[in-house]
Amino acid sequence: MPLKHTKWITVLIAAIMTLPIFIGLIGTLLPAFQYFPPIGEYHFSTQPWQNMFAESEFYSSLKLTLITGVGAPLLALWLAFSLLAWGYQRPFFRKIETLLSPILAVPHAAIAIGLLFLLSPSGWLVRIFSPWLSGFVRPPNWITVQDPYGLSLIFALVVKEMPYLLFVMLAAMKSLQARETIHACQALGYGRFALWRKVLIPQLYPIIRLPIFIVVAFSLTVVDLALVIGPNTPSTLAVTLYRWFNNPDLAMRLMGSAGAVFLMITIILVLGGWEFCHRCLSKLTRYERSNGRRCGATDNLLGSGVILGLITLVSAFIALMLLPVWSLAKRWRFPDALPSKWTWDNIERATPLLIELTSNTLSIALIATIMACAASLLMLETKRKSMEESNKPTEQHAFDWLIYVPILLPQIGFLFGLHVLLIYLDLNGSFCAIIALHLMYVLPYVYLTLKGPYLAYNENYLLQANRLRYRPWHHYVSVKLAMLKPSLFTAFAMGFSVSIAQYLPTLIAGEGRHSTLTTEAVARAASGDRKQVGSMALLQAFFPVIVFWLAQIIPARWTKWRLAMKTLFKKGSPC
Amino acid sequence: MLSVKAFSLSTSDKVLIKELSFDIENGQVLSIMGPSGVGKSSLLHFLSGTLSSTLTATGDFFLNNESFHNKPIANRKVGLLQQMPLLFPHMSIIENLLFAIPPDVKKQERQALAQQALEKLEMRDKANSLPNELSGGQQARVALLRTLLAKPDFLLLDEPFSKLDPALRREVRSFVLEEIRKANIPALLVTHDAEDAKAMEGPCKNIKKAV
Repeated sequence: MPLKHTKWITVLIAAIMTLPIFIGLIGTLLPAFQYFPPIGEYHFSTQPWQNMFAESEFYSSLKLTLITGVGAPLLALWLAFSLLAWGYQRPFFRKIETLLSPILAVPHAAIAIGLLFLLSPSGWLVRIFSPWLSGFVRPPNWITVQDPYGLSLIFALVVKEMPYLLFVMLAAMKSLQARETIHACQALGYGRFALWRKVLIPQLYPIIRLPIFIVVAFSLTVVDLALVIGPNTPSTLAVTLYRWFNNPDLAMRLMGSAGAVFLMITIILVLGGWEFCHRCLSKLTRYERSNGRRCGATDNLLGSGVILGLITLVSAFIALMLLPVWSLAKRWRFPDALPSKWTWDNIERATPLLIELTSNTLSIALIATIMACAASLLMLETKRKSMEESNKPTEQHAFDWLIYVPILLPQIGFLFGLHVLLIYLDLNGSFCAIIALHLMYVLPYVYLTLKGPYLAYNENYLLQANRLRYRPWHHYVSVKLAMLKPSLFTAFAMGFSVSIAQYLPTLIAGEGRHSTLTTEAVARAASGDRKQVGSMALLQAFFPVIVFWLAQIIPARWTKWRLAMKTLFKKGSPC
Repeated sequence: MLSVKAFSLSTSDKVLIKELSFDIENGQVLSIMGPSGVGKSSLLHFLSGTLSSTLTATGDFFLNNESFHNKPIANRKVGLLQQMPLLFPHMSIIENLLFAIPPDVKKQERQALAQQALEKLEMRDKANSLPNELSGGQQARVALLRTLLAKPDFLLLDEPFSKLDPALRREVRSFVLEEIRKANIPALLVTHDAEDAKAMEGPCKNIKKAV
């Protein structure tokens, strides 16, 4: 890309990325200290904090948040390490690797709805054991989902986070000499789990620290998943804050803002505590790593993690499979394992609504993702150029840390603050506002997916093209971007699935005027109409999976298809 | 004829090349040899107008007595052949060749030129193959013909034979020399290998590390 004024572009993009977050934070921070002009509060005070601390719901919500927000990432990390240690470089593990993409692509809410269908007292899990084993002819009076301890929420979070961590670990393994290390340790007589525990995991952890922090921050602040499968009396802190913010009494926003600031402080403290624990554990196990024992009792921890990890993956798949089954079920009485009658009526009945929701969802996702792709290319070209000019390949750019801010900050912490800005700009409830907020979350994922391949691209191809014929813009597209097709398609699929999964940004920016498959599926999850919810969740899961699948299929075959078409029609341009 | 006058190259803290001058006749290949890091490839990038901004170069160069130094990259008709053939992997062989032919050449003539190149390469059946379906030697030859199809005024060769095995190397070297002579343009080769320089049957210059 023949870019000029890269410094100005850097400043401009950095400002565009920082400004909404900064304004959002201010918009949350001021009401947290009683300053909220819309309700005539012009004086600073700590009253919202006092009110919040006086709420008994606050403490139980905080306790639940800490249990689920720390428990789920810990479990997900344990299971991901176990699966990796067990299966890395084994042929059948490659099949498991290919199964990760659909789970990664499917929005959280769809997985949560699927798990609801699987785990609830009248869910599929109880059905397959009834009545022949359990003796149940009616759903038991158990609390298996939305349980007060948050166990079902932890499970749902693990189902979604474990594949993500596994995916990140597999990518990070490329930077370690894993194969050689495994062979060297095995030659020394170390067992598979022992060598991973003593040698590979300590090397791997520092590389994946940031994704782990993202997972922890997400678990502490997730709203949509917690609304569907989490406890509700009391709920997690993020959900409690969401209810306070949505309370018709605007004064509750003050307490909600104080809670949002508190949640951000909690995240910082939890992440600090997590890192402290990791360092302590690392120090404590240092001797154990070099004590020469070829196996140890803790190897069993990884061994049992494999079984639980596989159960988690299988649960995720069954949960996804149940979505189409419910949407096509006509009669499905308990304890039948499958519907006794099937029908298209559920989908037909919901078609007008589904068409509206799908068109909203797809238009937002397409526009936000295309914009994110264009912005990412601009940012990466700016970064590449400045790296080239300074001749420092490892130079850190402002984007490299700014890009993580929206992912690490809790949505509830600044989206409501940003909503105030949207009202001032008279953009609240508009389609543009939804796209802008989606863009804020889509951009980091698109940028991070593209970053590696884009910066690793051999610029000599582009230089050579321009030496042969000097057309910089044309060759940027027809040579460089054409060669980067696989990464561009993957980045697009990633951005698309992130956009489809957005719940809170859609709700806050759209003010409920523009519904998407995600917002509607979450809103109706508790309605009890499993057939309609199933149809929505199915569509919600369908589009990202299809786009991911196309992103793998199309770039690999593009040139072959293009040449075949060209031969067929005996014409076409060379590029 | 390509003439380089008093070319000097330096980084922020040291001089790499000092006052280098030479002339290359049409159809002739001048070989420049020297150790790694001496600035040989940077000389080629200076001539092609793509020198890194971290390096400072002074001097002038002329093509048929016309100064080239301040010409924008777009107007320098320069061919550069590197270690990697740099064939575009998403284009077929014929598309790679067509890509190089100047746009003012008429469509039928373009096709004919590309076909002639394929015949010369004895690769008519490979027209619709992708670069990764060719051997290393075939890729190197396609890369050379693609460069020459762009009708460059001079050719720069940046160790183009270094990745080929010895037998293939001899074959590709003679092919390159033959084509340069046919095109009747000056060519500049930078290499580590004395055999490469000898095979080009032209003058040779050694660059030493500046102290």
